[in-house]
Amino acid sequence: MKAKCTIYKLIPGPTRWARIGMASIVALATISLWPLLAAADDPVEQMPDRLFASGAKALADGRVGEAIATFEALADRGFEDPVASYDRGLAYAARVRAGAELPGDLGRAAQGFEEARDLSRDPRLQADAGAALTVVRSEVAKRRMRAGEPAEVDPGRSFASSLSSLLSEDTWAILCAASALASAAGLFARWLATKSRVRVAGAVMAGVAAPLVAASMAMTLAARSDRLNLHEAVVISASARPEDERGLSLPGASPVPEGARVEILDSRGGLQRIRFGTLVAWLSGDALRDLAPRR
Amino acid sequence: MSSCGGRAGLTAAFFAASLVALAPRIAAAQSVPQVSASVDPETVGVGETFQVEIQATSPDAMPSSVDINPPAGLLLRGKNSSPMQQHTFMNGTRSDQYTLTSDWAFEATRVGSFALPGSVVVGTKRYSVSPLHVRVVPAGQAPARKQRQNAPPSPFGGFSPFDPWKQLFGGAPNSVPEPPPQRPEVSLDPKLSIDAPRGDTVFLHATVDKTTAVVGEQVTLSVYQYIDITPSGDISSDDMHFPDVVDFVKRPLVGDNQDAPVLGYASTGGRVWQVRLFFRWALFPLRAGDLTIGPTVIELIRGRSPQKENRSTESFRVRVTEPPLAGRPPGYAIGDVGRFALAAQVQPRQAEQGGAVGVHVDLSGTGNVPATVTPPAREGLEWLAPDVHEAMGPTANGTQYGGKRSFDFVVHVNRAGDVDLGELALPYWDPDQRRYSVARAPLGTIHVTANAAAAAKEPDKATEVLAGLPAIRTSLEGTPAARAHPDDSPWFWVAAIAGGPLAFGLSVGLSRLARRVAAAWELRRTSPASELKERLSAAREACVKGDARAADSAIGRALEAAAMAHAGVNVRGAVGRELTEKLERAGVAADAATNVAELLRECEAARFSPDAAELAATRERWSRAQAAIARLERRE
Repeated sequence: MKAKCTIYKLIPGPTRWARIGMASIVALATISLWPLLAAADDPVEQMPDRLFASGAKALADGRVGEAIATFEALADRGFEDPVASYDRGLAYAARVRAGAELPGDLGRAAQGFEEARDLSRDPRLQADAGAALTVVRSEVAKRRMRAGEPAEVDPGRSFASSLSSLLSEDTWAILCAASALASAAGLFARWLATKSRVRVAGAVMAGVAAPLVAASMAMTLAARSDRLNLHEAVVISASARPEDERGLSLPGASPVPEGARVEILDSRGGLQRIRFGTLVAWLSGDALRDLAPRR
Repeated sequence: MSSCGGRAGLTAAFFAASLVALAPRIAAAQSVPQVSASVDPETVGVGETFQVEIQATSPDAMPSSVDINPPAGLLLRGKNSSPMQQHTFMNGTRSDQYTLTSDWAFEATRVGSFALPGSVVVGTKRYSVSPLHVRVVPAGQAPARKQRQNAPPSPFGGFSPFDPWKQLFGGAPNSVPEPPPQRPEVSLDPKLSIDAPRGDTVFLHATVDKTTAVVGEQVTLSVYQYIDITPSGDISSDDMHFPDVVDFVKRPLVGDNQDAPVLGYASTGGRVWQVRLFFRWALFPLRAGDLTIGPTVIELIRGRSPQKENRSTESFRVRVTEPPLAGRPPGYAIGDVGRFALAAQVQPRQAEQGGAVGVHVDLSGTGNVPATVTPPAREGLEWLAPDVHEAMGPTANGTQYGGKRSFDFVVHVNRAGDVDLGELALPYWDPDQRRYSVARAPLGTIHVTANAAAAAKEPDKATEVLAGLPAIRTSLEGTPAARAHPDDSPWFWVAAIAGGPLAFGLSVGLSRLARRVAAAWELRRTSPASELKERLSAAREACVKGDARAADSAIGRALEAAAMAHAGVNVRGAVGRELTEKLERAGVAADAATNVAELLRECEAARFSPDAAELAATRERWSRAQAAIARLERRE
């Protein structure tokens, strides 16, 4: 005991200024780290990528409810990513598979896959989203058949819309410009050339290029109009009955299939005027979920 | 605006209470209607009014057509009927009760004792009502009327808006002279005072506790009734319109069918008012935007006046937003606003594969308590729709809405082993703390023993629902950025598309234009006018130079060019009569034509004369030729 006291006395303690300095460093470090500590403490302040990671993990672990809540929180914050949409679709599909299905889960799954397919530039993701869509819509079709309703879930797009979607908008625009250039060159050759062969070649070139200009211009305009004005949504209710603008059900009309992609033509109050194949009708806004606009 | 009959609330409550009291008798009477009748007061003075009430209750059909035949001396001043029906299901048995209450008001016009026979029709049968007796004494000799001992206090201070006949007719209820108005001694509450009264005698005043809120946050609407404590004549209510709150979910905190409690007294506009809380509602906004709470309107009738007076409260505009996105927890549903707590019990903790366990969840709190709780969906667990029980209502202090909702889930367990049920979580927005919180209730783990039969029932991969879904992705692709498209630029359309054809069209057009300009220039250069100009200039020069023959020749050509330019006639080679005729046919006056012909002949003669030409004569001809050309130009 005596020896210990001796040793203790031999070790000099920190000076007064050193103690003040150490205390200041600790205080500064605490203050600078406080926001990080607070953010770590509060899970809702997570960054979108961390939120996505936690959602993906919850989905992988089978915690479907948490995964859906997380992906929906991402969507609420306006976060757009094709993979987030894709995994959100998978989460809703997983809830159906788990036997905990809530009304609208199949439609919400389809909406996620549609959005992923629209937003993604990755062909593999587009293919996966397309395959998942097929699975979901097959299930919807199966259920509708059991209910004695028409099984058609995806009537496809109109002929013009299908044609314009054959090539991207930029490709149509470049084709249009090239055709216009060829047409002008042909006309000049026909006009200025003195040799008859050149004049004939010019006439043929102009004759071929002119209709090509018209067609590619129409496709460019259609694709541009789709990009700027097309407002689409997916039906997320199994009983989305077509209505008239007063909100009364159309007699004899069967419900628009859950998971169907529809074009929004107009909105009024809580109703939205939609086009689904050849059907143009009003649906309750609650039965639809918007797709992210194309870019 | 939602309209309710003014008496509907209290009358319904009164009828309900009456029915409860009469229920045993009604049951005993089977299909015979139970009829009660009363007269109030039984002794009145001449010129005074009294009220008769007949109430008929039947289990079979709604009584109809209550009739009273007043004898001479009694004058019917008004009547009112209120039907009500009640259907009760008890142990699978339905029982019905139909009640008709009929109020009649009569005025006594002469002294005497009168019997009032009445009848009521139920179904196809008419039942008599025991005659009611009333005694009419000379005016001023009737006993003073007594206040009803059991009558609830009227919100109108003795002039109930829900009692249509009380003191409605005839002014003073009896002949006892009213004491002069006195202001009772009351203690005033300054908190109840307002800037100015909104009407005389009775008015309504409304307040809301906030004008900004989030979707689902409670906005408390309180409507107060101010009654002037100084008596100022008869007044009654005819109709009442509750405020229009279509954008809110309405929960009564202080019911509009209860007696309005007196809150105190206020001094406003130099008068003392009794203040009653007419009703108080908790309003939960359904959507974001500027939402309107309409006014409460009550119609008053003063004495015998046919005119109705309206009293209305203020209307309010509440700015409603959604709670902030920043910090919003996953799973938050718009509208979940308040302060909530979750508690859960799982029983049993052990089960067999394919069996089930029960999960009891209590959700309690104040505010917009959610009607559902989303169970934690997991593979191998099937949550069935729960039984829900609720005990909701105003809190003890009557300012907030809340309570408890209980959910009883049955969970089928299809997996063996230790199964984690997960955790119930309810994110909500706390309006007091202005932040999100999450109410949690961990459910823990249950032990599930394997069951071969149940495992065999598990669907195989080939037939399971949504088989063949692709795999999860764990890395983000990146937010697709808005990119520029060539066709968004006007230059694309002008230069790239229209440029080539435009250039070709422009070239062709310009080429044609150039050709046209050249042709026009050439035409203009060879015109008769140009030629005339040249010829005149040549003649002028020739005359100046002094060569008479050349000058005559130039004068002759100038005259020919003038004939061509001004008369449109080519006179070259024509002489004498032929020339004159040509000019005259072209519209030139005969003397002018002769003059031109003469001048041409003189020039010709001078040119080919063997004698030397005289320059003076030539210049004189040039002068005459200029005059002749001028006449040709003027077409004289």
